[in-house]
Amino acid sequence: MSILEVDAVKKIYTTRFGGNQVVALSNVNFRVEEGEYVAIMGESGSGKTTLLNIIAAFDKPTAGNVRLDGRELSNLKESEMAAFRRDNLGFVFQEFNLLDTFTLEDNIYLPMVLSGKSTAEMSKRMSFIAKQLGITELLKKYSYEVSGGQKQRAAVARALITEPKLILADEPTGSLDSKSTDELLELFSAINCDGQTILMVTHSVKAASHAGRVLFIKDGEVYHQLYRGESTGIEFYQKISDTLTMLTAGGDKR
Amino acid sequence: MKKGLYCMLAWTGIKRNRRLYLPYILTCIGMVMMCYIISFLTAFPGFETMRGWGTMKTTLSLGFNVMCIFSLIFLFYTNSFLVRRRKKEFGLYNILGLGKKNLALVLLVETLMIYAIVISGGFAFGVLFSKLAELCVTYILGGSAGFTFAVDFASLYKTAGLFAVIFALIFLNTLRQIQLANPIELIKSEDVGEKPPRANWILAAAGAVVLGAAYYIAIRIEDPLSAITYFFLAVIMVIAATYVLFVAGSVAVCRLMQKNKEYYYKTSHFISVSSMAYRMKRNGAGLASICILCTMVLVMISSTVCLYAGAEDGLKNMYTRDINITGAAAGIEGLNADNRQKITDMVGRIAAENGAEEENTVDYRTAATAACISDGKLMLEDLVYAQDIKNISKAWQLFVIPVSDYNSMLGTNETLADDEAMIYATKGVSFDQNKIDIGGNEFTVVKTAEGFEDKGADTMQAIPSLYVFVNDFEAVVDALEQKAAETGISTSIGWYYKFDLGCSDDVQIQIYNQIVEAIQQTAEGEGEALHILVSSRANERMDFYGTYGGLLFLGVILGLVFVSATVLIIYYKQISEGYEDQKRFDIMQKVGMTKEEIKKSINSQVLTVFFAPLVMAGVHLAFAFPMVRKMLLLFGMANTELLTAVTAVCFLVFALFYAAVYRTTSRSYFSIVSGMRYEN
Repeated sequence: MSILEVDAVKKIYTTRFGGNQVVALSNVNFRVEEGEYVAIMGESGSGKTTLLNIIAAFDKPTAGNVRLDGRELSNLKESEMAAFRRDNLGFVFQEFNLLDTFTLEDNIYLPMVLSGKSTAEMSKRMSFIAKQLGITELLKKYSYEVSGGQKQRAAVARALITEPKLILADEPTGSLDSKSTDELLELFSAINCDGQTILMVTHSVKAASHAGRVLFIKDGEVYHQLYRGESTGIEFYQKISDTLTMLTAGGDKR
Repeated sequence: MKKGLYCMLAWTGIKRNRRLYLPYILTCIGMVMMCYIISFLTAFPGFETMRGWGTMKTTLSLGFNVMCIFSLIFLFYTNSFLVRRRKKEFGLYNILGLGKKNLALVLLVETLMIYAIVISGGFAFGVLFSKLAELCVTYILGGSAGFTFAVDFASLYKTAGLFAVIFALIFLNTLRQIQLANPIELIKSEDVGEKPPRANWILAAAGAVVLGAAYYIAIRIEDPLSAITYFFLAVIMVIAATYVLFVAGSVAVCRLMQKNKEYYYKTSHFISVSSMAYRMKRNGAGLASICILCTMVLVMISSTVCLYAGAEDGLKNMYTRDINITGAAAGIEGLNADNRQKITDMVGRIAAENGAEEENTVDYRTAATAACISDGKLMLEDLVYAQDIKNISKAWQLFVIPVSDYNSMLGTNETLADDEAMIYATKGVSFDQNKIDIGGNEFTVVKTAEGFEDKGADTMQAIPSLYVFVNDFEAVVDALEQKAAETGISTSIGWYYKFDLGCSDDVQIQIYNQIVEAIQQTAEGEGEALHILVSSRANERMDFYGTYGGLLFLGVILGLVFVSATVLIIYYKQISEGYEDQKRFDIMQKVGMTKEEIKKSINSQVLTVFFAPLVMAGVHLAFAFPMVRKMLLLFGMANTELLTAVTAVCFLVFALFYAAVYRTTSRSYFSIVSGMRYEN
């Protein structure tokens, strides 16, 4: 069953003055199945982030619709939106987006507190996730006291703690060094193996090569997609790289 | 060409930051205006002839100095805020190739521009409102105002010079801050990671203890004048404790709340409590300053308003009749009937000559001393004991009066045996002994008088008075004098002769002057066994209004200045909070908080932060109240109901004003906070 369905999504921005129209997404269609690990690639300005914002319901599409677990996002009211987001989506950002006024522990608790969970349930969940992500030792620290990789792991923990249907990752390796990047990508693979659905937007071929499927976006639509299939990490990396070269070289595939 | 560039950069710098600069410039204009007006008034020639101007002038010059110091400190504070906010901009200029020297030039041009705006604006309003201030003072002093419109150039120069110095100092300070930093630091200065506030339990506890102690002293002080060191100690302790409590205490409270997991991990508390700790760490000192400024404004306004409103009361308390004659004698002989008769005859003649008649006459002899009464015995030896703050509740002013004087004054016919006494205690204190021992003479208290003078000498003391009416006045005076010789504690023997005149103030003053002259002549001619002092209520009235009106005027002006300072601090706090919260607002929304939830949480924090100082100021005011009351007593202002009402009204008006300021400034806050990515 598809957990996420994106149908004919179109997004047109109108500039504030003068009424110039910019087409960010012209016609995007794809589906994500439960337990899948999908990467979306594309150049800057190809509309990746716009797409992610629409899927996260931060932004509304000009036309078309997005269904998450069978629910039409555009039908949700503003008041229901936050709770919906909290219960069904987990976010991992390039900039970590941890609150500096909280310890890592409190940052991870944040979504659960907002959903009004009991402290017993919270700490049970926490001990499980902290062990899984190897951050048990760091929980009492503040974000400025830990490294980028550790911050990102705390952010992943925050995304996972509500057991969301879908993890949305926006350039999660963008601010990390290569070692932390490897660790994070292995972590993503591991949680995907446990059945977690992940949708990741990325620039990095390496990051994308860990995914089960890669979608390429160009000029506001899904231009191409690759399945990992039986290929090894290196083979898949090569395939993605070739596709990207072709895309940027402007090969007219169609 | 290059000069034009500097000017342009400076002007756009001010214009782009108008949200920061406009309130700053307005406050500066206000301060320049106030300085000019105060200086103008002290130099205004039209007042010289008015009665009471002398005292008012002194008060106003004092006020001018306070204004100078306050302007300097306050403008420094606000400017450092402005510079902090603009460091990024300076860093960018620096990276784009504007050297520090050029940057300094731009800043210089900016400072000059602001100075020009401030001075011209301040003078325009100052000159405009100086006429109003002149009319106010004239009204207070009870004179009649002319219609001329004057500009005092000396005051203009003085004010312009003062602010030139202040602006130069501020400019140098800004340069210092910029000189010390490199461009990357300048750009990043706004987002340096901030360490989490640690609760300093010892400091927090110390703050609470010190505040408690200060409050205790404030309540226990009976006589603010004799305990002036205690008084200042209490004030300093309160100020210190306020700072400590706002800085350390608030964080400690937040940490305490965080320890309680069941309380902390609730949607409504989670965000508020943890961000409050940060907010308080950053703003503790600022909030404490607001709190102290508020308290100062409230104490100042309520006491000066009260003094002015109660001036007539105070006047009547201090000068119980229109003409008050006091005779001080060296010994009992000086009080003999002849000496007194001479004065009353003379006064009667002068009054009659002016077509006035004596009414409500008070005429009695008395021997007065300070005493400590314990078990019905007068402890003259122990006056030192009585002056100790702990025993002040046992101290009395003692007046011994012949019962014959009591009878002739009140038209009664009381008779007492030599060992009997009648008493009357003031200030609602009851003297519950049935025997009283005055210097070895023991009296049985047979009766409590229904009434006697409880104004005049009694009003100006915080301690109560005890009037003891005896038959054998001379015997008691002898005993007291003998005691005085042993202990060195003096007894003053005197005569009070006071009366009202049913005529206008002008005639009263004329009578007063004639009496003073006549007494002087007699004293020069015959010498005086009885040293006579005369005071006239009508004559004192002008000085009273001069002093109290001056105090009120100054209280209101300084109050306005302090209030506008408070407003500016609040405004800048809101704005800086807004910039800091912008990012957090964004993150919280991403992790699933609704806008309403965030708004509610932030609102409750901001509300706590801004109303904490007001509440604290209210508490300070409540504890300062007994002290203020006792101090006003020294001015003859004994009307506690009036003081309570005035203080309450002042607090209420101030709270309303504060709330209005909060509402308007919080609008700017929300507009900054919501100026972000996911705006619908």
